[in-house]
Amino acid sequence: MNAENLRVRLAALGVIVVTLFAALFARLWYLQVLEAAPLRVAAQTNGVRLIYTPAPRGRILDRQGRVLVDNKLVDELTVDRAVAKKQPDLLGRLAALLSAPAKPVTIESLRLALADDRFGPLAPVPVAVVGSDVVIHVKEHPDEFPGVDISEVAERVYPHGLLAAHLLGYVGQINDTELAPRKTLGYLPGDQIGKSGIESAYESALRGKPGVTEKEVDSHGKVGATIGHEDPVQGHDVRLTIDLDIQALAEGSLDQGLQAARASYDHKGGNLFSAPAGAVVVMDPRDGSVLALASNPAYDPAQFINGIPTALFQQLEDPANNEPLTDRATSGLYAPGSNFKLITGTAALVRGLISPDTSIVDNGFIKVGGQVFHNAGASANGTVNITHAITVSSDVFFYTLGANFWNARNQYGLAIQDMAREYGLGQHTGIVIGDQAGRVPGPDTRKKLHEQNPVAFPNGQWFTGDNVNLAVGQGELVVTPLQLANAYATFANGGTVWQPRVASAVVDQNGTKISDIAPHAVRQIIYPPGTHQAMLDGFVGVVANGDGTARTAFRGFPLDRFPVAGKTGTAQVTGKQDTSVFTAFAPANAPQFVVTVFEEQAGFGASGAAPVARHILEGLGNVPGTNIIYIPANESSQTN
Amino acid sequence: MSAGNARDNNWRHLDVSLVAAVLSIAAIGLIMVYSATSQKTTDPRFYLKRQLVFVAAGLGIMVLTATVDYRVYRDFAPFVYLGTVAGLGLVVSPVGASSKGHQAWFALGTFQLQPSEISKMALILVLAAYIGAHRESELNLRRLITAVILAGVPMALIMLQPDIGTDLVFGCILAAALLIGGAKPRHLAVLGVVAVLGVAGVLKSGVMQRYQVQRLTAFLDPASSGQASTYNLNQSKIAIGAGGLTGTGLGRGLQTKLSFVPEQHTDFVFTVVGEELGFVGSSLLLLLFGFVLWRIWRAAMLAKDATGTLICVGVLTLLAFQVFENVGMTMGIMPITGIPLPFVSYGGSAIVAYFLGIGLVLNVHMRRFS
Repeated sequence: MNAENLRVRLAALGVIVVTLFAALFARLWYLQVLEAAPLRVAAQTNGVRLIYTPAPRGRILDRQGRVLVDNKLVDELTVDRAVAKKQPDLLGRLAALLSAPAKPVTIESLRLALADDRFGPLAPVPVAVVGSDVVIHVKEHPDEFPGVDISEVAERVYPHGLLAAHLLGYVGQINDTELAPRKTLGYLPGDQIGKSGIESAYESALRGKPGVTEKEVDSHGKVGATIGHEDPVQGHDVRLTIDLDIQALAEGSLDQGLQAARASYDHKGGNLFSAPAGAVVVMDPRDGSVLALASNPAYDPAQFINGIPTALFQQLEDPANNEPLTDRATSGLYAPGSNFKLITGTAALVRGLISPDTSIVDNGFIKVGGQVFHNAGASANGTVNITHAITVSSDVFFYTLGANFWNARNQYGLAIQDMAREYGLGQHTGIVIGDQAGRVPGPDTRKKLHEQNPVAFPNGQWFTGDNVNLAVGQGELVVTPLQLANAYATFANGGTVWQPRVASAVVDQNGTKISDIAPHAVRQIIYPPGTHQAMLDGFVGVVANGDGTARTAFRGFPLDRFPVAGKTGTAQVTGKQDTSVFTAFAPANAPQFVVTVFEEQAGFGASGAAPVARHILEGLGNVPGTNIIYIPANESSQTN
Repeated sequence: MSAGNARDNNWRHLDVSLVAAVLSIAAIGLIMVYSATSQKTTDPRFYLKRQLVFVAAGLGIMVLTATVDYRVYRDFAPFVYLGTVAGLGLVVSPVGASSKGHQAWFALGTFQLQPSEISKMALILVLAAYIGAHRESELNLRRLITAVILAGVPMALIMLQPDIGTDLVFGCILAAALLIGGAKPRHLAVLGVVAVLGVAGVLKSGVMQRYQVQRLTAFLDPASSGQASTYNLNQSKIAIGAGGLTGTGLGRGLQTKLSFVPEQHTDFVFTVVGEELGFVGSSLLLLLFGFVLWRIWRAAMLAKDATGTLICVGVLTLLAFQVFENVGMTMGIMPITGIPLPFVSYGGSAIVAYFLGIGLVLNVHMRRFS
């Protein structure tokens, strides 16, 4: 073999080796440069476990910055599962330590707590909230309690007890349906989440950022060093439009009013008023800010801390207990009675069915078709225009409008229903804590109700009589107290329909504003010249005039210092005592407050609700206060 | 000229750069073995200290090997060969020790002797001696067959362990020796076909356990999950990829320190390089290997006689194939076999054998004029 041949063959060998090395470099480049990112993630997933610490929630403040919902730090006793597994006696010692005469703790119950799969395999499992004596004992005897630790956790605390419970809402453990859409937001099983009210509506602001500890875990599952840690960041505070004092005033007045009603005799039914429940809304008509939302009966949100027992929760939802969990201010559905005359009157004036000067002779009843409709109380008011009809609450005047609108429906369409929707009835107000839409009835809803339930609604047709009933706020019409207050706020501010607002800003712990929650105007109602004043005079007359329906309730009220306008309402409910309704706004010439009061099964609006509204207005107007009394029907000048 | 003078002359022609490159690789190996094991043993330096002993022993063997003229070894080649075959025969007999399904060890105190590593050197030497003895003519068929049989006997014994990786190395050494030894291209082609059929036959024959076949073929189908071999391969690729361009830094590789890669200080030591030193460090290591191979290739070119050339070619092939197979296996482009990364993987027999190989190359190189 010659040297040349050898050189060629060695060169061939060299080429093969170079090719193999080129292949190695190519593959190396692919893995370490092109595929590096996903493989790095794979390595992280392999060897790093994340342990989360929940962040304290933000606080909820009233409009002046006073704390309505706060956090307190409690000591939580946690157990390391791995250690507990290796130490068979540990649970017995713990059970003995944690047991109190009233609340025994057994090994079984501890075992059950440790089996809770909401906690990751590495996270210490909280088994009890403990007092300082237990904390000291555990810390002084570490050898007796291996794997047992104390961690401070934040818990909701309600410095004002039941105050504004419905509005504030409560916090509870996240469930599967809540968790599924929030996985991308970093929620984990076992997390706390706002379940209702402000806690739920402003969850994202209040929640904060959970702390994360990154721990190494080797291929055998052994936990190693901590490689990263981020402290939890407390959530932001939410500043409400609610005023603590006004809220307390509203709740207290409502409660007194209901108690007074319960002590009073219902001549119609021959027994005492049951007055089981009620609601109050106080709003600022200038921008739709809610100053107070009261619902009675209330519940204690503190019951929800660390989970509420099922039986207790069911009690709170039980109609036999008047459903304390229901927020009647936003979700209670009531016929508004004569308070609806605002809408009927506006429709008639705006659509030109009547002018402020149009008079109708009120003989105490009208005949529509074959049916006779009486004034409540059967009084005859004589010749009345819109202003006087509001002041004395002439049903005949508004019956006539209802009948005339229906008879001229080809010209006006469904003008009352349309105006009701303009004022925001029959639809959600858009309040952030959620509410009921209510119902503005007409031929369409009648037909639907009949189709859905022919037994309860045997009639699928809409007749003149139905429009007559609607004109005075009866029939199938239902509104929420908030909707009604917002409708009167619209009238009071000259026609702007605001979306009711319960919070004004998100702020950090130092009070620095993070974001504004601005008022939002939805639409405008234009009152033709003279019409607004005509109705306003009527509402002022309700409390001020000698024949005003609420003159007795406001006897002695310094109207010269704090002029009030209002409207009584008495709604008939089949099978129940009348709903007592009163809405007021003040000062009448430049309103800053709207107050709506509903009392279930409490008789005339002038008897039950009006004195409650008066008491609240006394506080709002800073005028001398009087006691809340129930005004018996024969003394209250009015009828409905 | 006295013998002493001649030896002094020879050492003057020593390829210092080759020695320096090999020592650099061995130094990287020490660091990598330490990084892979320090957090997993009670004595963090346990493996480091033993590997240091192996490297020191290897250096000694290298110097010794280079001292005696390789033509003396050539004359003793038949005895070296017979001794190797006898050793391989013993290891598959009841005298040998079994580990992880392979019977490839002699236990010598706390150390284990792995004759298959030494036998690679013996094969290189005997093929170089036999083929190199007749440099003048082309390699005729009779001599080619003899050469194949010389390699075939130890290969058959190794197949009994079974250790298909070492057999692949033997095959490569044989093929390179035949190519450089002057075999006709036609014969080489036929041998190639026979080799492919042989490998297929071994895989199908049932000589190897099912899991061993799966381990070999896992890289062809990385999607087949659930198998332990696929898991190992995935962890290996994750480790290398997680290193990225510059690596996590020594002792900071998650895959490495949390033991997600099996056999990491031995067969999968390249994953430590990949994860902790990144593309930059891995490339540097491969370039060092490339430099070593170039110096050996150059020594083969310059060798005084055919035996010298063939010795260098044998060592070149051995190292080149092992680097490609080992690094390729950790990156999923070669089957998983128990082939260590030369000078880097932890293991005494292999380290000593590779230094011995380098000693032979230095030997040939420094006697290119005598």
